[in-house]
Amino acid sequence: MNYTTRWLGAAVAAGALALAAGAAYAQDKEVVFGLQCDRTGATQTVGIFLCPGYHDYISLLNSKGGVEGFKIRVMEIDHEYKVPPAMEAHERFKKEGVVLESLYGTPQTAALTKKLEEDKILGTSPGFGTAAAADGKRYPYVFPIAASYWSQGAAAVAFAKKELGGSLKDKKIAYLFYDNPAGKEPLVILEDLAKSESFELRIFAVPAPGVEMAAQVLDITGRYKPDFIITHLFGRSPSVSIKELKGKGYPLNKVVSFVWGASEADIKAAGGFDVAEGYHTLQFAGVGTDFQVIKDINAMYQAQGKPAPKEQEISVFYNRGLMIAALHVEAVRNAIKAKGGAKPTSVDVKNGMEAIKGFTLGGMVPPMAITPEDHEGGGWVQVWTVKGGKLVKNGEWFQAYRDVIKKHLAAVN
Amino acid sequence: MLHRESGVFKTSYAADMALYPLPIARWTVAAIILLFAVVLPLSLHEYYLSVINLSLIAIVGALGLNILVGYTGQISVGHAAFMSVGAYTAANLAVKLGLPFWVTLPAGGLMAAFIGAIVGIPSLRIKGLYLAIATLAGQLIIEWIINHTPAISGGAQASIQVPRPALWGYEMKTQGQLYFFLLFFAALAILATLNLVRSRIGRAFVAIRDQDIAAEIIGINIFRYKLLSFAISSFYAGVCGVLYTYYFGIANYEAFQIGVSIDYLAMIIIGGLGSVLGSILGAVFVTMLPIVIRLTMEPLAGLFFNAGEMSSVIASTRLVLFGGLIIFFLVVEPEGLNRLWRNIRNYFRVWPFSY
Amino acid sequence: MWDELQFAVSLIVSGLSIGLMYSLIALGFVLVYKATDAINFAQGEFVMLAGFVAALALGTQGVPVIAGVLAAVVVMVLFSFALERIVLRPLLGRPIIAVIMATIGLGAMLRGLPPITVGGETRAVPLPIGDAPINFGPVSLPPIQILGVIVTFGFLGIFTWFFLKSRMGIAMRAVADNQQVAMAMGINVERYFALAWAMAGTVSALGGVIWGSMLGVDVHLALIGLKVFPVVILGGLDSIAGAVVGGLIIGVVESLAAGYLDPYVGGGTKDFAPYVLMILALMFRPYGLFGTHRIERV
Repeated sequence: MNYTTRWLGAAVAAGALALAAGAAYAQDKEVVFGLQCDRTGATQTVGIFLCPGYHDYISLLNSKGGVEGFKIRVMEIDHEYKVPPAMEAHERFKKEGVVLESLYGTPQTAALTKKLEEDKILGTSPGFGTAAAADGKRYPYVFPIAASYWSQGAAAVAFAKKELGGSLKDKKIAYLFYDNPAGKEPLVILEDLAKSESFELRIFAVPAPGVEMAAQVLDITGRYKPDFIITHLFGRSPSVSIKELKGKGYPLNKVVSFVWGASEADIKAAGGFDVAEGYHTLQFAGVGTDFQVIKDINAMYQAQGKPAPKEQEISVFYNRGLMIAALHVEAVRNAIKAKGGAKPTSVDVKNGMEAIKGFTLGGMVPPMAITPEDHEGGGWVQVWTVKGGKLVKNGEWFQAYRDVIKKHLAAVN
Repeated sequence: MLHRESGVFKTSYAADMALYPLPIARWTVAAIILLFAVVLPLSLHEYYLSVINLSLIAIVGALGLNILVGYTGQISVGHAAFMSVGAYTAANLAVKLGLPFWVTLPAGGLMAAFIGAIVGIPSLRIKGLYLAIATLAGQLIIEWIINHTPAISGGAQASIQVPRPALWGYEMKTQGQLYFFLLFFAALAILATLNLVRSRIGRAFVAIRDQDIAAEIIGINIFRYKLLSFAISSFYAGVCGVLYTYYFGIANYEAFQIGVSIDYLAMIIIGGLGSVLGSILGAVFVTMLPIVIRLTMEPLAGLFFNAGEMSSVIASTRLVLFGGLIIFFLVVEPEGLNRLWRNIRNYFRVWPFSY
Repeated sequence: MWDELQFAVSLIVSGLSIGLMYSLIALGFVLVYKATDAINFAQGEFVMLAGFVAALALGTQGVPVIAGVLAAVVVMVLFSFALERIVLRPLLGRPIIAVIMATIGLGAMLRGLPPITVGGETRAVPLPIGDAPINFGPVSLPPIQILGVIVTFGFLGIFTWFFLKSRMGIAMRAVADNQQVAMAMGINVERYFALAWAMAGTVSALGGVIWGSMLGVDVHLALIGLKVFPVVILGGLDSIAGAVVGGLIIGVVESLAAGYLDPYVGGGTKDFAPYVLMILALMFRPYGLFGTHRIERV
């Protein structure tokens, strides 16, 4: 064995020892989070911005000493938006001893609901999954922690009501949606509200992959001519819808989109902010980079000599990642405090999640209150509108028609 | 020396027609059964059992597709749709009528077989790519019907929760218990396929694949056997869908879309068309590939990237590797893993006296 | 009454123009199949690749539009050459499922490349045409679709002249008809394979630029490839006229289905109405409307 090889071997051995020692030390004061993401599948255009946001918040937290003395290690697994890898990811997380999982995707959440309950690890599903999961008694280990599609539907109707002068009587509303279960979920709420608020509702489905909807838009603008349009689209279809509606001359300030048709990426793909002027979007996390936590993250990157992450450009998705991470950390914080500083188990963290109240992260997170009965936190949304080249806040956080939603939750559970 | 084929004398027709006539084969099969039924479930951690469980379900589906594509020479890009037919049939029966799994499983399979036979009708007139696209159409139409018929799909959410499979009151919940549940059906499927391809029906299928006009001339009713092939293959797919449903506890058609059909085609191509062992190897390979890539890359990538970048790199590498491996197998070894295994086995047939 | 009529006419015109844009993609598929018998399941990914090149080229400052388009064409042609050499040559004579799976695998690889190389976020392909729709009487079309129609007709004209009148075109038809005899006649078959793939690459490049401009370039752009199949099956796998006619029919059927059938069945008919039509057509004309009848030799 020659000189170089011997030195190389020693270096590798030293490095391995250091890693092992570091790992062993970390084990004691360390809490593990499981993050499921889609970076290469059908919804990668969301995942590649959301998951870095999650990681960045945790890095910021760790750099400031962690949560109550514990460092957090995030384990991420990409499931390509398929279900079997999501199940395998959950088993892997269980093996690593995670205290909570951040789920991603409606079919994945549906498939894991029962397993999470059996394994007593909580899973969060903000902005996807079933609206019925807001019922914490029926689904104790699934936490939407953000407005479900039912709440978004109710909020969209309330916003339309406000925009149309306070009353929806005899007005016409069109609902343009992606033809899958997630797109059809708000229908029950919308139809119920159509009756109670006396407006006419007509629905227009866009089948997958949703890249071409000229006929539906023609039907809406040419024949139906509604007073307001509510859209619920995913993937590439929001930007197509913006272009089509604008092309047919429909005023975009009479359009409000659910949370997944609401990002800078969609507006850019539609031709830019000047094309989408007036477009309203529902958000469940704050938009833009004007928040203390983002400034802190950028300072952290600067201290490491790196530029601010470019994922912040699509702040709608990036901030959602931040929000999810922040709520997870708060749940662990509550759990550690409740246990007097000891390392929490996944059941402790579930109780901790159910104790979150009034945590707003400088306005990025709505003033939600998660309780054992309400895992949704109240269904808060905020409207952000495209004005003058960027997304501008249009009102404060609000909830809508909670009684109607509670009625439907009770009916379905 | 190991694989001794000479000196084995059979004294009855049954012994001659047996599935494993050689003693060495019998011992090997017995050892495998012992391994899977006793050693693995007792020694492996739950996580590894869960990975094996996913592979077991995939084996059933891959066997079915190989019967249609490998043995009968048809093309189907709609395999996943039949799985969802089986899944929803079983889910509806289990939830609405409270039937136990040993009724819903064959029911799901039969329903899928029926639909599969209908989708297979065009195969009598069209071949090759045209048939592939017709089955693609079948996949999309079935998806649409399930999506838009609340009676089948159980409401706008299109997912039905099913209770765990229970045998005389003993509910199978943990990965270990589900392992036995799935192992039983996977073994049954393997045994059934091994016997099917040796039977009259299997030989008819192969005849249709090789030269269907000649097959018709010698009296094989192509109409009947092509439809039968579609039906049998869809039965396996339906059973696979039911197994997925019971494993996840929920039936959801979004888990059975075109990407899954392509995955199963990849399984049988990588494994080897027209062989049972090929289906098994291909199913295991494709199911485990992302996991193995991730497990090997994690410690390596952890040295270079932080957590966030790492997962992005691993994910994209996995996709490129997957496509690259498919192409590699097609170009270099078109008969798949099965051929690799055969080559190894043939080497040992006469070892160490290979001259 | 006039409203209804205007609606119907708008639907049909919109369907025709979208249909022609489907044909643009289908042309690439048909060219390859016609000349080399290879089936390209990754046509959508080709369009996506071309879109990425165009978006990257035009995204950097000061690059004129023509350069960006040319860059896309050059990259696609080189890529097609490389593909034909490395992947498809070894697969000659294999069962059709092998070629299909090879292109599917290739498609998966191409979809995985953007996230590791340039990032998977959506990009725009800025073209110097306006966004305001142009009106023709009662109907209006966005300028990008009008451009697409012009490009498609342009290709149709060029290819028709090429295959009917030019020497190289006739040689390519000979190669498609019977490789052995063409070789015996002294035609360099390999070179014509490469030429066919190059032509398909050019068509994909233009398709990528136009569709990328319409939809935005990211991995979802590859999904447009699924639309190719009903078009080519209906029109006939190896007929250029069939690609155009098939595209027109599919576009109009989709449009009318969405406009008239959707309200009755709660939506989504647009997705599978073309496939139902395709299956019906296949029962009566198994090789498509204009495809050549393959005579099976035993």
